[in-house]
Amino acid sequence: MGKSVQYLNQLELINAIKSNDSYTLERFYNDNYKKIELLVLKNNGSLEHAKDVYQDAFITVWTHIKSNKFTPKNETALEGYIYRIAKNKWIDILRSKSFKNSNTLNYEILEFVGSDDSESNDLKNNKLKLTMLAFKNLGQPCKELLNIFYFEKKSLKDVASKLKIKESTARNKKYRCMEKLRAMVLASK
Amino acid sequence: MKDNSNISQELLEIIESYINGTMNTRELNDFNQLLDLDEDFKTKVEDIKIMLLGIENQSLKTQLDELHKDIPKTKVKESQDKKVRYLYYSKFAAAAAIIIAIGSIWFFSTPKNEKLYAKYFKLDPGLPTTMSTTNNFDFYDGMVKYKHGDYKIAIEKWKVISEKQPENDTLNYFLGVALMVDKNTSDAIPFLERSVEAEDEFIFLNDAYYYLGLAYLKEGNIDLAKKNLSLSKTKLSKTLLSKLNN
Repeated sequence: MGKSVQYLNQLELINAIKSNDSYTLERFYNDNYKKIELLVLKNNGSLEHAKDVYQDAFITVWTHIKSNKFTPKNETALEGYIYRIAKNKWIDILRSKSFKNSNTLNYEILEFVGSDDSESNDLKNNKLKLTMLAFKNLGQPCKELLNIFYFEKKSLKDVASKLKIKESTARNKKYRCMEKLRAMVLASK
Repeated sequence: MKDNSNISQELLEIIESYINGTMNTRELNDFNQLLDLDEDFKTKVEDIKIMLLGIENQSLKTQLDELHKDIPKTKVKESQDKKVRYLYYSKFAAAAAIIIAIGSIWFFSTPKNEKLYAKYFKLDPGLPTTMSTTNNFDFYDGMVKYKHGDYKIAIEKWKVISEKQPENDTLNYFLGVALMVDKNTSDAIPFLERSVEAEDEFIFLNDAYYYLGLAYLKEGNIDLAKKNLSLSKTKLSKTLLSKLNN
C-alpha cells in the first residue's frame, strides 16, 4: 500500500491535492484508509466508525493543505499527518462521555468532535460551515456548474461544453449561482 | 458577510484570479495595495475565499462516499484475530506467571485500602495533543510530557501555569492526576478539590470526583473517599464504592 502515490514526491502530491486532481485524491484516500481502519477496529470501533473518522480526517487534511497549514518535513509526512489526525479524532470520540454511555454510532459525537478542531478562528470556521451547508442545499444546476468550475477546476469553456451552453451563458450563470449561494449564506446567519 | 456588500461579476472574477494566483505582477501590486487600504475590500476577499473553500470542501465531502466504495470490504473476523493474539500472548505466559506470583505476594501483604487503591487507580490517558493548538502551548507541552510518562516534568510545567490560572479546571484536574501517579497523593488532593468546584458541564467532573475519592482512600480517609466517589457517575467509582461499603 502507498506505493502508487509514492512516485509523486510530497510537494507534487500536495500540489495535486490542492488542485483536486481526482486520480490523486482517490489514490491518497485508498492508500491511507486501511491503517486507520485497523486502528479503530482494534480500539473498540466498528467499520462504520472507521469510515466516519477517516473521512473526517481526510477533509481536515485537505483543508489544511488548501490553507497552507501543512508543510511536509519528509517523504511520508502527509501519510503520517492524516494518521495522527484520525487517531486524535478517534481518541476524542472514545473519551467523549456519550461514547462511554452508548456503543452505538452517534453522529452527534462525530459532528461535535469534527467541529472542535481547536482552531482559534471560530468565526471563520462558522462561515465555512454555513457555506458548506448552503452549497449542499443549492439547486442541482448551480451545484453542478460550481462544482465543475471550482472543484474540478475546469475552464469556463469546458464548463460550457460539458453543460452544452454558450461560454458567455456559463460565465453569467456562474455569477448568478455565486450570488445565490452568497444570499443563502447571509440568510442562514 | 455583510448584507450590503454587493460584489459585481467583474469584481468576483478579479478576486478569483487573485485567489487562484493568476494575476500578473502589476495587478497583484495594485490588488495588495487596495487590500492594505480598504478594510471592507479585505473582508470581501476573505469572504470569497471562504466561499470557494466551502464549495470545494462540500464537493469533496459528497465524493468521499463514492471513493469509499472502491475500498475492499474488511470482514471483521473474530476467530482469526483471537488466534493471532493467543500465539502472541503465549510467549509472555511464563513471564506473566512470575509477575503474578510476585504481585500476589505483594498484594496479600498490603492493607485493604492500598489494595483497592492500586487496583482502581488507572491513569487518565490525557488529552490528544493536536498540532494546531497555539494558544495553549505550555499546557500541551506539559501534556506531551505527561503522555510520555515524564510526570515530574509535566507537574513542574503545569505548576507554573497554575500559579497564573488557579481556576483552570482542566489544568487542576491533570495536575492532580499527575501528582497521584507521582505518588504524591497529599499534594494532589487540593488540586482535585479545586477541579471539582468547576461548573457542572466540566468534562472531567466525574473523573475528577473519582480520582479525588481514590486519593482520600489512599490517605486513609474512608468517609471522604466514599463521599467523593458517590458524586462521580462513572461505573468504576460505583464498583469501588460498593466494595468499600462491604
